[in-house]
Amino acid sequence: MSEIREVPLKPAFNQSRQAREAEVMLNHIVDDFIDNPAAMTYFYDLFRHAFIEGKALDRDGPGIGTTCIQVPEELIYAAGGTPVRLCNGAYHYDQVGADFMPAKSCSLVKATLGRLHSEKAVPDVGKLELIVNPTTCDQKKKAAQMMEGMGYQVYDLDLPSAKDNEAAREYWRRVVKQLAARLQKVTGKKLTRQRLREAMAKTSRAQAAFRTLHNFRRKAPSLILGKDVFLVTNAYFFDDIERWSAAVEALNAELAQREAEAFSAVQKKAPRIVFTGSPPIFPNIKLPLLIEEAGGVVVADETCSANRMLYDMTAVDEWLVSHMIESIADKYLKPCTCPIFTRNDDRIRRLLDLVATFNADGVVYQSFAGCQVYEMEQRSVAEALNKAGIPMLYIETDYSPDDMGQLSTRVEAFLESIKTRKRQARA
Amino acid sequence: MTYFAGIDIGSTAIKTVLINAGGEIVGIHVTDSGSLFHKNAKEALRVLLEKSGVDRAQLKYLIATGYGRKLFKEADDSISEITANAIGAHETGKAYGGVRTIINIGGQDSKAIQIDDSGNVSNFVMNDKCAAGTGRFLDVAARNLDLDLEDLGDIHFTGSGAPLSINSTCTVFAESEIIGLLANGHGKAEIVAGIHYSIAKRTVRLAKRVGIEDRVYMDGGPALNKGLVAAIQDELQRELVVPQYPQTTTAYGAAVLARSEFLAEQQEGH
Repeated sequence: MSEIREVPLKPAFNQSRQAREAEVMLNHIVDDFIDNPAAMTYFYDLFRHAFIEGKALDRDGPGIGTTCIQVPEELIYAAGGTPVRLCNGAYHYDQVGADFMPAKSCSLVKATLGRLHSEKAVPDVGKLELIVNPTTCDQKKKAAQMMEGMGYQVYDLDLPSAKDNEAAREYWRRVVKQLAARLQKVTGKKLTRQRLREAMAKTSRAQAAFRTLHNFRRKAPSLILGKDVFLVTNAYFFDDIERWSAAVEALNAELAQREAEAFSAVQKKAPRIVFTGSPPIFPNIKLPLLIEEAGGVVVADETCSANRMLYDMTAVDEWLVSHMIESIADKYLKPCTCPIFTRNDDRIRRLLDLVATFNADGVVYQSFAGCQVYEMEQRSVAEALNKAGIPMLYIETDYSPDDMGQLSTRVEAFLESIKTRKRQARA
Repeated sequence: MTYFAGIDIGSTAIKTVLINAGGEIVGIHVTDSGSLFHKNAKEALRVLLEKSGVDRAQLKYLIATGYGRKLFKEADDSISEITANAIGAHETGKAYGGVRTIINIGGQDSKAIQIDDSGNVSNFVMNDKCAAGTGRFLDVAARNLDLDLEDLGDIHFTGSGAPLSINSTCTVFAESEIIGLLANGHGKAEIVAGIHYSIAKRTVRLAKRVGIEDRVYMDGGPALNKGLVAAIQDELQRELVVPQYPQTTTAYGAAVLARSEFLAEQQEGH
């Protein structure tokens, strides 16, 4: 495998490629829109610091990388570590990662590998004591050894391929308990009832703040644009959880104010869109941004970079360490709607539910080229939505910006057809 | 008199259509897009008005569509070429008993659009960022064969043997395949027919994804190529409705919309 070195940049261009990419996207997110919530400034600054200025983030305890939403972060907090979600959205790192994976593989996996391979980690998370890699899709599974080849300690978190039977659930509980044991070894701290309770309180606060934000998005006309919410949930990947929770609470307070003032973030007739499929991860927010630049609004999403991450609470029967760990394990397996599962009817149910409860007009389904499981589920999701009379736009894309023109045409045509449909329904 | 216009700023050509208050076409002008999109679009509009003997002040509403639509600030409004194409085909198709499926092959993409009885888009698919099976593909092939693009349609029917099979759908690979066939002494007519069938197969696959309903309308510049139309009809096993001016259906749709937007605004004003 060839060595990849950053070519020294001329002083005139004293910005790395990824920083430039991040800056362009952030400027679009911030400057292309009026009336951004004041509380979003925290998040805009956070991304500016981490991705453009490359400032290191404060952290307590050893950094534990995660490559998927399925890693129980309560266990990491309870063991005294800091979880950092490594899933990457940079086209620059996608190109670097292309050296490791076949050409037709998923941008997300390539970018994550590319970023781990590059010396300058973004955001700068410092040394990672361990990377927890759930065995989800084939590409993520095989990425584990490549990460080891780069010198990282990698733990395979063995996710069952089914979630609809008791044996799988039992197995997953065992897997999560084994992870707990490994984490204690890495950090040297024991998982006590007290520490677990504190960790669960931390994540519960974050979840509660997110659920409030999520519910504000039901309002019509919308109080906040989806591009901002994607930034909020993306910040959760690497931000300090307490600071993040406080910032979301401040945003919620502002949205409550907006609601009281009957403020509207979009035109009254803006088509309301539910976003699903491969996850938008900064700086690859291109598709949600195209939707909102074309006059639509993303009111909810069903993706693992946002909505799927904070939706469910833990339910504990007995406050004993083993019960607590089991309840944490259940929280992660049962509600997960990732297409890697053998059967995934929950995903369709959740989508139909989101469309109904968020009063949405249509669904945009993003598949990263090379993400076979999302590509495969497209058919069944399209059929179910079609049956329910919900229009869906299916977009296959990757991290490269070269299809922006074509995508904007498709997105606009989709929004125009929704508007016509609504006009006719009224007539 | 009041007039309305649509301007379709495509990747290869700029198409403009002028209609009068009654909705009849009174002027058509098509020119190359070139590299200076905006300047050429302004010039195309000027020529359209001049040819039709209409003053700029008489043009009451202008809608832009196509890839360059957003940069053309002279327009009153812009609309995606998919919606404009649907409106244009719906209006044009009335003379043929109504159309429900549109196959559009453009300079750099191809689309299949399904419309309802009122001309609204109910579903559409587009090829994914690749010039395979588009006008550009024909362009490259004509150059390889040392033929004029305009002549491909007639040459299609002059072959004596069967159409050769061109397996690559990628423009770049197909180019080397064509050169290979030439080197092996195959006739140009059979190669041309093979290229048309290769595009036809790809286009029909696209159309099947959107669902084919009668009647099927075909537009875009390549619809002027009779050989390609014959190949698509053969693959589709259906007759195609090809309008007199296939290149300007989308611009015409934008003009039709301009007229109805103007009338709607006037009504609101009263």
